[in-house]
Amino acid sequence: MFSRIWSISIKEFLHLRYDWWLPAFMLFGGVIELLLIGWATSRPITNLPLMILDHDQSASSREIVIALENTGTFQLKSQVYDFQTIEAALERGQINAALIIPPNFGNEMASANGQPTLSVILNGAESIPATTALRTVEGIARDIGEQITIKRIGMKPETLARFNPSLRVWFNESLSEALYSIPAELGLMMEFIILLFAALTFSREKELGTLESLLVMPLTSLEIIIGKSIPVIIIGMLAFGSMLGMVHFVFDVPVRGSLGLLIILAFVYILVELGKGLVISVVSRTQHQAFLLVMLVGMIDFLFTGYAAPVDGMPQILQILANFIPAHHWLEILRGILLKGAGFDVLWINVFVLLILGVVIGTFSLRYVRRSLN
Amino acid sequence: MVISKDATITARGLTKGFGDFTAVDHIDFDVYPGEIFGFLGPNGSGKTTTIRMMLGLLHPTEGTVNVLGVQVTDLPKDIRSRVGYMSQRFSLYNDLTVLQNLQFKAKAYGLKNREIEERIQYALHMAGLEGREHVKTKDLAGGWRQRLALSASFIHRPEIVFLDEPTAGVDPISRRAFWDLLYSLVAEGITIFVTTHYMDEAEHCHRLAFIQRGRIIAYGTPEDIKAERMRGEVLEMEPSDPIKAVKVLREVQTSRQLPIEEVELYGSLVHVIAPEMEKNKKAIANELLQADINPGQMSIIAPSLEDVFIASMQEFEGTDH
Amino acid sequence: MSIRHVLAITRKEIYHILRDKMTLILVLFTPLFLLLLMAYALTVDLKDIPIAVLDYDRSQTSRAFVHQITAGQDLELYAQVDSMNEVEGLLMRGEVKAVLIIDPAFERDLYALRGLPLQIIIDGTEPESGGFAVDHIGWRAEEYINQVLTDQMQSLGIQIDNLQPIDLRVRAWYNPSLKPRNDLIPGLISMVLGFPALSVALTLAHEREHGTLEQLMATPVTRTELLLGKMIPYIIVGLINVILIPVAAILWFQIPFNGSFPLFFGLSAIFLFAVISMGVLVGVFMPTQASALALSFLVIFFPGFFLTGIFFPIASMPEMIRMESLFLPGTHYAIITRGVFLTGIGIDILWPYTVMLFVLGVSFTAVAALFFRKKLA
Repeated sequence: MFSRIWSISIKEFLHLRYDWWLPAFMLFGGVIELLLIGWATSRPITNLPLMILDHDQSASSREIVIALENTGTFQLKSQVYDFQTIEAALERGQINAALIIPPNFGNEMASANGQPTLSVILNGAESIPATTALRTVEGIARDIGEQITIKRIGMKPETLARFNPSLRVWFNESLSEALYSIPAELGLMMEFIILLFAALTFSREKELGTLESLLVMPLTSLEIIIGKSIPVIIIGMLAFGSMLGMVHFVFDVPVRGSLGLLIILAFVYILVELGKGLVISVVSRTQHQAFLLVMLVGMIDFLFTGYAAPVDGMPQILQILANFIPAHHWLEILRGILLKGAGFDVLWINVFVLLILGVVIGTFSLRYVRRSLN
Repeated sequence: MVISKDATITARGLTKGFGDFTAVDHIDFDVYPGEIFGFLGPNGSGKTTTIRMMLGLLHPTEGTVNVLGVQVTDLPKDIRSRVGYMSQRFSLYNDLTVLQNLQFKAKAYGLKNREIEERIQYALHMAGLEGREHVKTKDLAGGWRQRLALSASFIHRPEIVFLDEPTAGVDPISRRAFWDLLYSLVAEGITIFVTTHYMDEAEHCHRLAFIQRGRIIAYGTPEDIKAERMRGEVLEMEPSDPIKAVKVLREVQTSRQLPIEEVELYGSLVHVIAPEMEKNKKAIANELLQADINPGQMSIIAPSLEDVFIASMQEFEGTDH
Repeated sequence: MSIRHVLAITRKEIYHILRDKMTLILVLFTPLFLLLLMAYALTVDLKDIPIAVLDYDRSQTSRAFVHQITAGQDLELYAQVDSMNEVEGLLMRGEVKAVLIIDPAFERDLYALRGLPLQIIIDGTEPESGGFAVDHIGWRAEEYINQVLTDQMQSLGIQIDNLQPIDLRVRAWYNPSLKPRNDLIPGLISMVLGFPALSVALTLAHEREHGTLEQLMATPVTRTELLLGKMIPYIIVGLINVILIPVAAILWFQIPFNGSFPLFFGLSAIFLFAVISMGVLVGVFMPTQASALALSFLVIFFPGFFLTGIFFPIASMPEMIRMESLFLPGTHYAIITRGVFLTGIGIDILWPYTVMLFVLGVSFTAVAALFFRKKLA
């Protein structure tokens, strides 16, 4: 039995050797892509173009401007002298925010009962940077405001500080974006690599007309599936290993939990996605169909990895659906082991669900291999 | 169900429908060991569907078929290793080399290491591809690919080989070589089930069946078929105006003035089929002379299978549809 | 160049698509379907975020405080715990996103005006929910101080609003509620319309994989005509989606549409030309469908998703990547879609992006035609 399975695997490797673009893209391309995207997006939001209209031009107003610049969130695009410039800039999307300082700002700041005001206009057409901009400005306003309160009331700074809750962040002390988004990106790449290869397996044979010959050989469906899966699993594990290594050394993503457990679970996850890919492969009549389905499924799963939006915020139905998505559980496992140092005792539910999903999917594909010819 | 005890393949009432369309309609046949059995018919007549059912790739809607004594609903693994298959569509891997394709087949069919070497050499020799084993399959010319596919189909010493239109698109010389190869296989005791739409190949089969629209319209050895189906004999003429001659004679056929069964054009020749040709020869010649056509050289020849087939088809079309 | 040739290829391609129902549905409706799904999922209204409370004080004040915090819709009191061990467990398992720890001296310090001793621990692996929890706890804390201590603070001369004396007036133009959905969805249109590009790459590779390319080459159709002919059906598919998607976005999700639809349609056609020509470029080089898909994914899809400024602002990207994003049609089109949907601007402002799209499209097609020729020579 093993020699028959192995003969299929050898054949699959030969196909990969002929079309070597494919494994090259997926292995090296995957790592490079992750590097590129990680480098581009796993960073705090900075350099947002900001315009300032300072009617006051006092020491206080300049202090605000400097404070804003120092946050790094903003890049001062220009100081302007009329509102029309700001309007035009906003319309063209050239700035993310504009700060308008009224003429009597300095005086209000200095006076004991003053009510200084600041106007901020945000470019709502890019809501994500706008929200960051807003938070930054609010933060600066609060800090400077506290300084004033301290001065006016004569309260000690430490006292005032005690009225703010102290904040601790677990698992991601620096609140690094990279630690949040990179695991999701890694998970997505892995899923896609596996799905692509797996979806290829049967649909290509069907399209080229070689499937019949294969089914006529003294091989069981299981043997065929195992034989075709071996190269995919090997490539998947290699891809995972290299991507994990890369993000660890380049982006400082830690591995706080057990690496061994992570590798075993990666293997399990690969098997589940493999099963999904096989189902797609068996159900599709052509490669074109199979690939479209892979993209569709991949994008749907991506939603549930929590990259674009936290799953908690989704409508109830989708939250329930998330439990049936292997990628969702895999992300929990990935983040759990990498960032939280979680062990099996915490993750066992996710593992359990993964296994069940895997078995169900696998059975389906097994049965349908032969039916597909009808 | 009566199974002919010595038959390697037996089909009874074999039927396959796809929705409203019946591809194979209650056919019966037997194939005996060591013979070349031909399945003849035009495209779309149900040949490939029948083979697929015999291989367990499709499930019959009704009826049964037995291969090597086992009923085929899902050809069990052990039987599969005793059967070889060459599909109509080229089904070796184009991106692999000749050798790699053969190695794959050999290993997948469970040959042991020592055997593999030997059988691969044999296959290469049979296909005439010695020295070219490292050529990529897609770089071979069409005829060579077919030969490779054929050799690959019996690399594992099967007892039966199913060949679906194995000579389609192959030049006549290669076709001849192909059939020589088939005969040598049969000499080794392999049973061959072959489908084709080339009538001249039909003559080479030990026994055959004509299939049309899913039904068998003739069955037996070539001689039996000719004898049974051809009540008449064939008159071959080379008239001065063949096309007009055919027209005239067909009118005669329709008006039933003479008992003509068939009038066909063969290039510049005309074949007329009628019983008791010796008697009717003159009458036929007269009809042509009356239409100002010189009948030319006339001779009575043995009917070819093509004649028989066309006659049977016309009859089949005439009766039920 | 002969239009007749181009259209002949187009007709053939359309027959191919129409022949297989499943493929047709996938090709035609995937963009729309994906967009609807994403839009639905992005209806992110964080609420009922689970938190845990560890109350060392257990005074009337602290209990009232906890009650106030969890009274609303945004935070849900998942568990009241007694030890740090339990806290660890809950955070580990992700059952809560934040933990509020109340100091034993809470009541005493509060009334002595010495402070409001609270600690918040958030789950850093979920910054959104964690940050949300912190914000809301902070606001409630302020309210609480307000309620409880107004008089006492006034005797000290502290107006509660003095703690934040600066009055910050914020307006968000084009998307006043700053709902992410409103700008993400137009941005996502740019991403989902990339699907037809994928199909184009696949169909070119398909011809090569099956060897039917040779036959086409024997006809009088030139390479450029062949490529253009193949692009047209998918541009049409894209345009169908260009009509369907805004209709769905506006009706279902109430995304504003402040610009001109004919303009949007025209600019979308140019975008489709550009992105599909990228697909052609990929398809020309790849010998099999599988590798065509892989390459499309790596250079069209993934970058189209992450590097085009839809989720992450381009201004914040490293310089080199900012340069690269200029070569992605999606970058320019995202600006166009946001401009048309939210800002309501017209061609007078959008023309540079349009020109860029056109240039990209022509360049990609030209390079593809060039290499197409050489490969078969």
